[in-house]
Amino acid sequence: MSVLKEFKLPDVGEGLTEADIVRWHVKPGDTVAVNQIIVEIETAKAVVELPSPYEGTVASLLVPEGQTADVGTPIIAVDTSTVGGAPTVGGTPPGSPPEVPAEAAAQREISNFEDLVPAPPVEGASEPGMIGSPAPKAERQAVLVGYGVKLGTTSRRTRKTTPRQDGNGSAGSPPAARPAPAARPAPAANGARGGAALAKPPVRKMARDLGVDLAELTGTGPRGSITRDDVQQAAAASQAQPVPEQIRIVTTPAAPAGAREERIAIRGVRKHTAAAMAASAFTAPHVTEFLQIDITETMAATARLRTLPEFADVRVSPLLLVARALIVAAARHPMINSSWDEAAQEIVVKHYVNLGIAATTDRGLVVPNVKGAHAMTLPQLAAALAQLAETARAGKATPADLSGGTITITNVGIFGVDTGTPILSPGEAAILAFGQVKDAPWVVDGELAVRKVCTLALSFDHRIVDGDLGSAVLRDVGAMLTDPLRMLAWG
Amino acid sequence: MAVKDAGRAARSAERARAREPERQADPTELIQLLTPEGERVEHPDYPLEISAEEIKALYRDLVIVRRIDFEAIALQRQGELGIWASLLGQEAAQVGSGRALNPRDMAFPTYREHGVAWCRGLDPMKLLELFRGVSHGGWDPTEHNFHLYTIVIGSQALHATGYAMGIQRDGAVGEDGEAVIAYFGDGATSQGDVNEAFIWASVNNAPVVFFCQNNQWAISEPLERQSRTPLYMRAKGFGFPGVRVDGNDVLACLAVTRQAMQAARDGQGPTLIEAFTYRMGAHTTTDDPTRYRLSAELEAWKLKDPIERVKQYLIRTEQAEMSFFEEIEAEAAAEGARVRAACQQMPDPEPISMFDDVLTTETLQLEAERAGFAAYLDSFVAEDAASAKEGR
Amino acid sequence: MTTLTLSRSLNEGLRRALEDNPKALIMGEDVGKLGGVFRVTDGLQKDFGEARVIDTPLAESGIIGTAIGLALRGYRPICEIQFDGFIFPAFDQIVTQLAKMRYRSLGSVRPPIVIRVPFGGGIGAVEHHSESPEALFAHTPGLRVISCGGPADAYTMIQQAAISDDPVLFFEPKRRYWDKAEVDIDGGLAAALPMDRARVLVEGSDATVLCYGPMVRTCAEAAVAAADDGRSLEVIDLRSLAPLDTETIFASVRKTGRCVIVHEAVVAGGIGAEIAAQITQECFYSLEAPVLRVGAYSTPYPPSRLEEHYLPDLDRILDAVDRTFGY
Repeated sequence: MSVLKEFKLPDVGEGLTEADIVRWHVKPGDTVAVNQIIVEIETAKAVVELPSPYEGTVASLLVPEGQTADVGTPIIAVDTSTVGGAPTVGGTPPGSPPEVPAEAAAQREISNFEDLVPAPPVEGASEPGMIGSPAPKAERQAVLVGYGVKLGTTSRRTRKTTPRQDGNGSAGSPPAARPAPAARPAPAANGARGGAALAKPPVRKMARDLGVDLAELTGTGPRGSITRDDVQQAAAASQAQPVPEQIRIVTTPAAPAGAREERIAIRGVRKHTAAAMAASAFTAPHVTEFLQIDITETMAATARLRTLPEFADVRVSPLLLVARALIVAAARHPMINSSWDEAAQEIVVKHYVNLGIAATTDRGLVVPNVKGAHAMTLPQLAAALAQLAETARAGKATPADLSGGTITITNVGIFGVDTGTPILSPGEAAILAFGQVKDAPWVVDGELAVRKVCTLALSFDHRIVDGDLGSAVLRDVGAMLTDPLRMLAWG
Repeated sequence: MAVKDAGRAARSAERARAREPERQADPTELIQLLTPEGERVEHPDYPLEISAEEIKALYRDLVIVRRIDFEAIALQRQGELGIWASLLGQEAAQVGSGRALNPRDMAFPTYREHGVAWCRGLDPMKLLELFRGVSHGGWDPTEHNFHLYTIVIGSQALHATGYAMGIQRDGAVGEDGEAVIAYFGDGATSQGDVNEAFIWASVNNAPVVFFCQNNQWAISEPLERQSRTPLYMRAKGFGFPGVRVDGNDVLACLAVTRQAMQAARDGQGPTLIEAFTYRMGAHTTTDDPTRYRLSAELEAWKLKDPIERVKQYLIRTEQAEMSFFEEIEAEAAAEGARVRAACQQMPDPEPISMFDDVLTTETLQLEAERAGFAAYLDSFVAEDAASAKEGR
Repeated sequence: MTTLTLSRSLNEGLRRALEDNPKALIMGEDVGKLGGVFRVTDGLQKDFGEARVIDTPLAESGIIGTAIGLALRGYRPICEIQFDGFIFPAFDQIVTQLAKMRYRSLGSVRPPIVIRVPFGGGIGAVEHHSESPEALFAHTPGLRVISCGGPADAYTMIQQAAISDDPVLFFEPKRRYWDKAEVDIDGGLAAALPMDRARVLVEGSDATVLCYGPMVRTCAEAAVAAADDGRSLEVIDLRSLAPLDTETIFASVRKTGRCVIVHEAVVAGGIGAEIAAQITQECFYSLEAPVLRVGAYSTPYPPSRLEEHYLPDLDRILDAVDRTFGY
């Protein structure tokens, strides 16, 4: 019974990947002894003779002369059961070292050590550098081209379990279970050392931008860290407070009996708004200009609009026409609808209007905006404003609603005051405050009359908007609200 | 097996004479006690009394050392060793000098001194482990007084010199003292470290013998690329004796080394021995000497074979029967077969052992890396792990 | 285009360098008659003579020291250190002299030396033949440190190094010497990517993989395997380790948000550490996960039977990619 052993092409020189079979010294059927030279190969570095690791009979030559083989390819199969010339019954047990009878080995003896020493050619040798160098392989090159780059491997070994997702690569900690996302943010219970919340940098930035306090959240991410979803849900939930239509009085909690002071933590939306206001107030030089106007015609127009079928299903308030007037003014004076990009050192003039409407909630001031207000018809604008109020009331304003505004209106009239000095929304160049409408004495055609009067206040960023422009915008708005037909003429 | 040494008193006078540099003025002089044809010759400075049994023992050493080397080359060609640095042609220099050492002398080899390792009693399998890639050597130098192989050229010359300075501080000097032998090749004499070792050994009068096997080639560069002067004469510039010996003559190497080692033990300082020999094989199994050597040179050196001359001497003087040579061949073949089998069955080290023995106490960093690696290995399906690593 | 091995590409590039500049020299152990132990300088001594392709004595410090002298005299030596582990006798000349001479002389003395170093493991060798010492040189101001990942870059980068007025350490991935690829032999350098730029080898969107030298091919293979997992990796061949092409690196990390750095060198204190620190600093808000590094453990290079466990491979790289998605 034959025992075939294959000899795989070894790497004979520090990282060689392949070799050409130059010449076989044996053929199938030949007996071969251990260390007998069986083949000559040519590598990128040298011509090398390979000695047989096995004793037996050559069964087959697996790679023909002239062909290139990769290291590791079997090149010859030797039947080792025929040691000593005759097939051995039972064969050599696999795994045992090939037998080397002393005689057989002695016959192919040390005098053959020369076989293992690369023999230089003899006569005619003139220049060592030339002799022995691999022959010009122009033709061989063509054969080699076909083989191309030998790839290592492009497939992964099989893991026992799904790869660890806990982010910790050292000791084999079990994969962290992902708990179900919390329905409502709960007070901080993420188990972090010292109570510090765990969140990665982009999430922290998002939380800051949305005015969400990480310390108040329970994280649903790996190792209890806070995820984007956690933050966004928290931000949305903070909007879920009813917003009354008219005057809203924010009551402070009653002080405990006997206390001289009460401390309320600065958190959440208030914290964010405060930060934004402070940033805005101290980076943009604010100038506020005031204009008192006769708004009687606008009030009448508002009442007439309500009777039109186009406005049957939507709330119409003077705010609608104030909004429209500001949008028209922005189209006439684009610089009022821009922002100061400190990092890029550029003023970005927006050719669209995302109109912010300041809204007051229990937690503080938020400014959702109507996207693309410039392109809306009056009914569309009315609907959008109503929708905005509705959303804010239901606490469903999304981060997208709250960002991207280009210019803002704040209705301070609902507080029962005439006017104010509004602070710019961050990233905007102007904000219009619209005070309460009241009856007041006015001069009409040289005679005293009682008219509906209100005060407009426009704050603007004096880096972008100079007095000239700011005044022009305020005058335009005032003019349109004094005579609403101007909106048709200019818009 | 130690070779007997008689008449010490007479010899010490001879030693003193031998150290006169002027006697070495002729640059072609090679100390030789056995010609390539196998004739015994005498040298006035290096008398050698040696019995037939001792010479037969040297012959046995030479044959077995060559056989192991031959087997190792074949194993490399069969993919069982990553690389092998053959000592073919240099057996006499290594066995001669190796057998000149006392058991307490310390040897610092390069990476080709398999013949010296044999003389020191180190199991050849430790050397095969290194070239197979199972270990970086891993033997304890104090067990056989044979330091680990140093692959960076010339570094060990300084180690040997420092060790010798330690011997001085221990007071182990005198007739029964200890000495050090540092091996390196012709190429190494260009390295800064070797020249610095010469400086330190000479100014400190350290008990170290520098044994340079000048095998004429440093990979592809011949001796004249390393030195304009015969190497043994370099010592004079540093202020200590240098001597050139026929490196293919085991008797001369034995006698000269013995004398130099005794001089070192006696407190007479360093000697440079240049064993003039030839690298019959390639630098290592990755080298192809046909690219830079002439065949005529190789053929000429074949006529100076170190083993053949001993055989001829024993035959000519009728100190050995044919049966003796046959026994030695058989013993060499058996040793070769043992080495082959042991190599083929040599197990790979456990992967986790990679982290052992970096420092005396393991750092936390390393502990964590070790644990991480263990967990990583463990994370793979078993049969894939085995076959995947095998296939690479 | 011609298909060449990386070794042959270097040979062709060196040939161009010698042809283009009569002052260019090649020097090192066994580089002349033998043509180098990896045949990288094969045939050059025959064609350009012994005065220009020099077989030096066996002394690395001597090679670099005398090269400095030649450079002071107006020559442009391209030195070879035969193996990475043997660069240390020359470390003094490189760090105390070569790196500092321009600075010391306020720009008067410019030693434009190239030091070619076959580096990295995976070739089954004994000690000192598989090292990755590049971080030591990248950490030394006054040196340029580059590494090619394949034959095409090898061809152009060796020529660019040869004409650079700064000292250049050129680390050649010896386990890739026999890799073959198409090389534009006649392309010239004008259109070639500059020596100090990184190359986006594979475009992707899920994670950035940074690599150089021998790991370039391994990472490209890993990207193929990752695609099977449904992950799109962007693989960047850094090519220049000093200076780093941070523009390319940061643009990619800002795009993907995740980064894995792969090198054969020990992780602790390696080049990956520097890159990770810079990425963290400049791309902080873009990072979805910390920058992870894959490399060798904090032990000396092991015996070759263990080296496959020591060196990063496809599985270790993708394990790190998995871990970056665990945050």
